[in-house]
Amino acid sequence: MNTDSSHIFSDEEKDILQEIMNIAFGNATADLGEVIDIYVELSAPSIQILGIGDIPDYLTDRMKLHPETSIVAQNFWGDFKGYGILVLPNRTGRSLIAILDDGEPNDFEMKPIAGQEREVLMEVGNILIGACVGKVCELLNTFVTYTPPQVIHENSNEYSSFVDSFDPSQTAILMETVFRFKAIDINGLLLVITSQEAIEWLRKALYEFMEPYE
Amino acid sequence: MIFDQIFDMINIGIIIIDKELKVYKWNRWMEIHSKIPAEKITGFPLFSFFPDLNNPRFLRNFKSVLTFGNFAFFSQKLHQYLFPFQAANSLGSNFKYMRQSCTMGPLRDDNNVIRYAYIMVQDVTDIAAYEQKLLEMSIRDGLTGVYNRRYFETRLEEEFERHKRYTRPFSIIMQDIDHFKKVNDTYGHPCGDYILKAFASMIVSSIRKVDIFARYGGEEFCCLLPETRLDSAMKLAEFLRKKIERNIFIFNNTEIRITISQGIAELKTEMGAAEALLREADHALYEAKESGRNKVVKMKD
Repeated sequence: MNTDSSHIFSDEEKDILQEIMNIAFGNATADLGEVIDIYVELSAPSIQILGIGDIPDYLTDRMKLHPETSIVAQNFWGDFKGYGILVLPNRTGRSLIAILDDGEPNDFEMKPIAGQEREVLMEVGNILIGACVGKVCELLNTFVTYTPPQVIHENSNEYSSFVDSFDPSQTAILMETVFRFKAIDINGLLLVITSQEAIEWLRKALYEFMEPYE
Repeated sequence: MIFDQIFDMINIGIIIIDKELKVYKWNRWMEIHSKIPAEKITGFPLFSFFPDLNNPRFLRNFKSVLTFGNFAFFSQKLHQYLFPFQAANSLGSNFKYMRQSCTMGPLRDDNNVIRYAYIMVQDVTDIAAYEQKLLEMSIRDGLTGVYNRRYFETRLEEEFERHKRYTRPFSIIMQDIDHFKKVNDTYGHPCGDYILKAFASMIVSSIRKVDIFARYGGEEFCCLLPETRLDSAMKLAEFLRKKIERNIFIFNNTEIRITISQGIAELKTEMGAAEALLREADHALYEAKESGRNKVVKMKD
């Protein structure tokens, strides 16, 4: 992994971003509970600068948390640009139905299990990624557009083509947090990966964010 | 002004709603398909015209869009449609309502504050109809029209998973038409094909809708019976055996009789994989064949 990353992002810049993420993810957690009754705990986020080519290995390493995992991935673009990735233990879709509480158990009973899980993973992924990215954007005074979320199962063709889509010549800022749903004992990983082309903008936005405090 | 024209000319439904879910804009596409003129709905709550939208999923996504500024996606695969509009009769499909792919997103004012949410509605009935046709083709056996082996195996895996979660019983019947080669050799392949088709349709008309009947290969068929114990599966198999034995198939004025051998197995908790159940049924079928055919044999205890 690329350890000498100071030329891309200085320690000071990392500290500001860290602070922004603490606030943003904290706000996201609060709003998820207050507004849409999804109660999650997010760990203190961490930041790393990685070569995009290193991300597949990094993901594989982090996915060892669970024997089998599912991924929900979503691209976002605007001034701030990158991917949101949610890593969850496989077959958690059913348990997630409980936290969505749609009062439609019969509907779910009728559909094949694989379809239901996909449906729930997609919706929860879309909301969690949207909440965290949205709150970062709010602090940085910008907004982004999202692609529809994709559910990718590990050990599938989908996963290898997802991994192949990373351009190894690029560098990314990877923000990571472990989240846990309060109502059900499921935890997972949320990654927000900033594309290289957005790093310059991010640097400026960080300093603009700090201006009032200086 | 130009954008106003595009708003009305575009071949996509566009709705803008405020934070109280009242309609702020309703474009011409929406007018045409909903048969509700803009002036009649503008300023009124969306739910008073479309009460079915007042459900937890729609509200959760709406709140999420207003709070986080993210997008919400209502794909036709998962939701089929948001607005119940009449579908054009696409490719002979019989969808009651237009299949829609919908997106909801935030609209901000000059100060970057979210004031409204938009919903875009795209008619994807044609795509859904193609998908449905492709899906049918991929899960059906071309000759007999019953499910194919791949679909059977997928459903078997799903039933196996369901059994692991809820320990619901299920059984399978493996069937083989006795001396089928002789039918082909004596009466020709068109007759053999006719027998396969007629046999399959007789079985389909004798089982429940929830049962999955598939052509497993050649003259071998398989029937998956959810919520069915071994003794009930035995009774059904015996009923089918007699029905086939008594039936006279007529092809080109020739009367043909066939018999079937069947092997039955019920899923047991100790079976680690769905294939184990298939193996048991296959062994039982082999025994039915070896012991004289036209028989039903169940798995060993």
